[in-house]
Amino acid sequence: MRDTAAGALSMTVGGRRDRLGLKGPRAAEWLAAHGIAVPMLPNTWMPSEAADGADALLVARLGSAEFFVEDAAAGTKLKRLATSGDEHPPGVYPVLREDWAIDLGGTGVHDVLAQICNVNFAALTLDSHPVIMTLMIGVAVLVIPQTVAGAAAGSGSNGGSSGNFMCRYRIWCDPTFGPYLSESLGAVVIDCGGRIMGDRG
Amino acid sequence: MMYRADADAQEWIDRAMPLGFTFEGREYRGYAGDTISSALAAAGVPYLARSFKYHRPRSILSFANHDSNNLFQVDGVPNVRGDVTLLREGMRVSALNTFGGLARDKARVLDHFARILPVGFYYKAFHSKRLFPRWERMFRRLTGLGEVSLDAPRQATPKRYGFCDVLVIGGGPSGLSAALAAAASGARVALVDESLRLSGNGAPSSLVRAVQDSAGINLYPATIAAGYYADHWVALAQQSYLTKMRAGAVVFATGVIGQPAVFRNNDLPGVMLASGALRLMARHSVAPGRRVVMLAGNLEAYSASLELHARGVTIAAIVDLRAAPESDAAVTDCAALGIEVLRAHAPYEALSGPDGTVAALTVAPCDSGTQVDASSPRRIDCDAVLMSVGWAAATQLFLQAGGSTRFSEELQQFVPRAAPSGIFVAGRVNGIYNLESRLADGRRAGVQAAAHAGFAVAGSAAAAQGTAAAHGTATAHGSRCPSHRYPIVDHPLAKNFVDFDEDLQVKDLENAAQEGFDSSELLKRYSTVGMGPSQGKHSNMNALRVLARYRGVAVEELGLTTSRPMYHPVPLKLLAGRSFYPERRTPSDAQHAALGALWMPAGNWRRPEYYAVPGESRAQSIDAEVRAVRSSVGLIDVGTLGKIEIYGPQAAELLDRAYAGRYSDLKVGMTRYGLMLDESAVIVDDGVIARLAPELFYFTTTTGGSATVFRELLRLNALWGLDCALVNVTGHRAAFNFAGPLSREILQRLTDIDLRDDAFPYLAVRSGLIAGVVARLLRVGFVGEVGYEIHVAAGSGAEVWQALHTAGASRGLRPFGVEAQRVLRLEKGHFIVGQDTDGLTDPQEANAMWAVAMKKPFFVGQRSLRILQAREPRQKLVGIELAAAAPLPKECHLVIERGVIAGRVTSVAHSRTLNKSIGLAMLSPDLAVVGRDIQIRVEDGSMLAARVAAAPFYDPKNLRQKPRLSA
Repeated sequence: MRDTAAGALSMTVGGRRDRLGLKGPRAAEWLAAHGIAVPMLPNTWMPSEAADGADALLVARLGSAEFFVEDAAAGTKLKRLATSGDEHPPGVYPVLREDWAIDLGGTGVHDVLAQICNVNFAALTLDSHPVIMTLMIGVAVLVIPQTVAGAAAGSGSNGGSSGNFMCRYRIWCDPTFGPYLSESLGAVVIDCGGRIMGDRG
Repeated sequence: MMYRADADAQEWIDRAMPLGFTFEGREYRGYAGDTISSALAAAGVPYLARSFKYHRPRSILSFANHDSNNLFQVDGVPNVRGDVTLLREGMRVSALNTFGGLARDKARVLDHFARILPVGFYYKAFHSKRLFPRWERMFRRLTGLGEVSLDAPRQATPKRYGFCDVLVIGGGPSGLSAALAAAASGARVALVDESLRLSGNGAPSSLVRAVQDSAGINLYPATIAAGYYADHWVALAQQSYLTKMRAGAVVFATGVIGQPAVFRNNDLPGVMLASGALRLMARHSVAPGRRVVMLAGNLEAYSASLELHARGVTIAAIVDLRAAPESDAAVTDCAALGIEVLRAHAPYEALSGPDGTVAALTVAPCDSGTQVDASSPRRIDCDAVLMSVGWAAATQLFLQAGGSTRFSEELQQFVPRAAPSGIFVAGRVNGIYNLESRLADGRRAGVQAAAHAGFAVAGSAAAAQGTAAAHGTATAHGSRCPSHRYPIVDHPLAKNFVDFDEDLQVKDLENAAQEGFDSSELLKRYSTVGMGPSQGKHSNMNALRVLARYRGVAVEELGLTTSRPMYHPVPLKLLAGRSFYPERRTPSDAQHAALGALWMPAGNWRRPEYYAVPGESRAQSIDAEVRAVRSSVGLIDVGTLGKIEIYGPQAAELLDRAYAGRYSDLKVGMTRYGLMLDESAVIVDDGVIARLAPELFYFTTTTGGSATVFRELLRLNALWGLDCALVNVTGHRAAFNFAGPLSREILQRLTDIDLRDDAFPYLAVRSGLIAGVVARLLRVGFVGEVGYEIHVAAGSGAEVWQALHTAGASRGLRPFGVEAQRVLRLEKGHFIVGQDTDGLTDPQEANAMWAVAMKKPFFVGQRSLRILQAREPRQKLVGIELAAAAPLPKECHLVIERGVIAGRVTSVAHSRTLNKSIGLAMLSPDLAVVGRDIQIRVEDGSMLAARVAAAPFYDPKNLRQKPRLSA
């Protein structure tokens, strides 16, 4: 996210990272047993880091018993968990997550979002680590706003509607809608003076 | 005739920047800051348009963006609103709705045929079936505004969402006051006004500046709040895009709309609203005329006369419909200036001069009901007649928001009766006319709205509450009623227009009422009053008065008609936005494209219809794809099928209840067909259900049904409280069907799963690796050959497709598309839900009772199915055959028996494999007998012979799936 950190509006298709979905009454327990801390509240997220500080996971709680976990760009943590799709302990149901991911950030990002979604992202309080599940130009998406390095994270509202705040949004959708969402969102980004960047890996 | 007055410090035009433009091919000049209408008026153009019905010359009426007669064709764009569209250098402007140009419009002859164009003319004309086509042609030729250019370039008009705590609609004194008060409470305020600039409309300039300087107020000038939707969503139409504004609370300071007086020839160019004349003068320094007659029904007529007099306009007379004078400074000032005031007088007839514009007004004494004594009318020469006789509250949005109104006899205006939660009303729309009271009312509304949005300021709510006591019943409007009770004057020669959009006269409305259309809603629909571009803003109130007088009832008894969103005409481009069309693509989409796929839509997916091969026709390619499946191997992408997983101890019970079949006894590693019914036993979906583990099922749905089935299962699971969880993995898994006599042999080379019949029998499911990728294999027979549905993670889809395609390439593999699959499944007699079934088809009718376990204690639709079983089926799905040489009927062509409809064709195709045309048809039970001849009526009305045949047509004993015949 180097360019968005510098302030320029940009969109990046998020590349292939390992992801894991879990459902079930014992899913939180299972994650904890594997060293993955989970948020307490539904619709919130938190980073979960390994003991050495590397290999950070993004852990989102989508419901009381539903979780979404994404590995870092070059992470191996989820691979090591090696959960089978067909075998699972009672009360833990693995969910295949092949989501399409997009990163969106930079100056004017809220102008872009206002054209594609009816959620007021500019008014979100970032220190509560919200997870938003909504529709974006007709596609169900999962959105997590994050502050980029050097920005004033966790300072209440994320900058109003001016779009000058250093905030980036990671957006996931069903992979079969991915090309449509990327092309449509990319056109808006370009109209707003931004640019499309390559796969971040 | 209008003209450009001397410069004024407050004018909006820049006289240092002249702009050239053409109107009707003639060159004119205006100034930067002019609108099209103001520039034409300043140039002395006598009239700007022809009326819709009679093609009478028309000019500016309100200059408030409401006039139907100030619409133009501008540089190829139709229906451009001249009141609010800024002039540009080089603009090419022309009038609408003319035949041969504005001046020589051939259709002006229609003005002489008004007698044979009565109210409800359309209804009466179209009543005759014989004459319908003739009338239709004529109306299509004569009506319509503007010309749409089919070559016009597409303009991107992105819609956007907006958010605020308090939305204030209206930039007059009460709106400004409300916005400032709400912002002072800490709320984020959006202030919307349709004027090009925020002028305040009479508000103190200090208030305008305070609003402009407020950091908490976002200004939306030149913006129309065109529609209100639930939860305080308001559609804001701006110049080039639409904003969907979501507010915590809304203040309607929408004001009032000037209303015309109704008298003979009140539509002549030069007759206009005084409020419009003041706007023209204040903003663009355009004078309405040099010698003006002012029609008065309220005090504003006198203050308007003073303002115009101060700008050099001669007021020939003030013709006051009322007898008693008001004690107000404006009245005495007019008298002091020597302006003649004729009290208890009404306009009787406007007279035109040689150029078609107003040249004189005849007036006559009248009583309080505007009944005139026309025995000796007086003529007053003039070049403009201005009307200030009353107002109509702009309650359209308030009513859309769920507010209710009552008619105040005291104010002669509809005022709010009750407002829904979060809706507040302020100012003249609230019946408050005095400036100080309007400002106070605005403050009250702003504070209350902010408090509703969560921004209460200690002490302010109570103060606001005190002011709110007058809410809706306020009378602090000055000393007199602002609107005349009946500003309508009869004339034996009519042409006294109530609706300027639709050319409706008083007699038209009376005739409509006399014909029985005597409620406000019926009158609107029959006469079309209020249905033109101005949406009744100038006509509805007077139409109600005419109807009330005709029926002898109070206006309150009639009520207002409903103004639906958008209540102000909005260009379609704003509604179109960017034209997003969510389309799904399977993971191997790029591979299909590379293989020459021709696409077809399937729900919101794009799927290969077939794969084009150079040198082959469409039919040849499809035939070759079918042949490959029957003789060697074919590969189709079935990733569009819905794919759902159910985990948990009660997963089987959920399926047993939700589907018609039984799954609790399904062995792990096996699949079973699933038929889903609704409560009335209608087939709504089908698929294959696989048991992967005792507490884990994986199943497919139809391509179009995945989301609906998933939602319904979630609903049922929540309703029944079962211990299981559902996951929709439709998009997260790719799926292919690899089918044909060689499929097993080729696939075995790619997988570690033992594919032999004894290890992997028909209808089994297995997990393993395909080309190194974790996969689920379902052995299915949809196309009638040995075949495997291969399900893998979406991210590996392209890789597995490529591996399968490569492995089969040397053995005659062809990828096949939807069309070949339709032929293959039809040969096997399989129905497609939604194509071969309809919204009434039950399993009996579809011959699908084999998939129903009636002995189960319960499943959705079971009770209805029991009832249906006791009855004769309404129809039956059967196979049909046609001679090989016969032309193919189309799906949905009707089966005719003894002249009546006895069924329909649901699927049909020509089978090269069978060398005949085959199909499925839904027939009445008496025809659904194998060997019965039927007649199918095709498009040209001729009949095709067909015969009911046994299905499946191909491999009826399913021997292709048996071990001994497998390759």
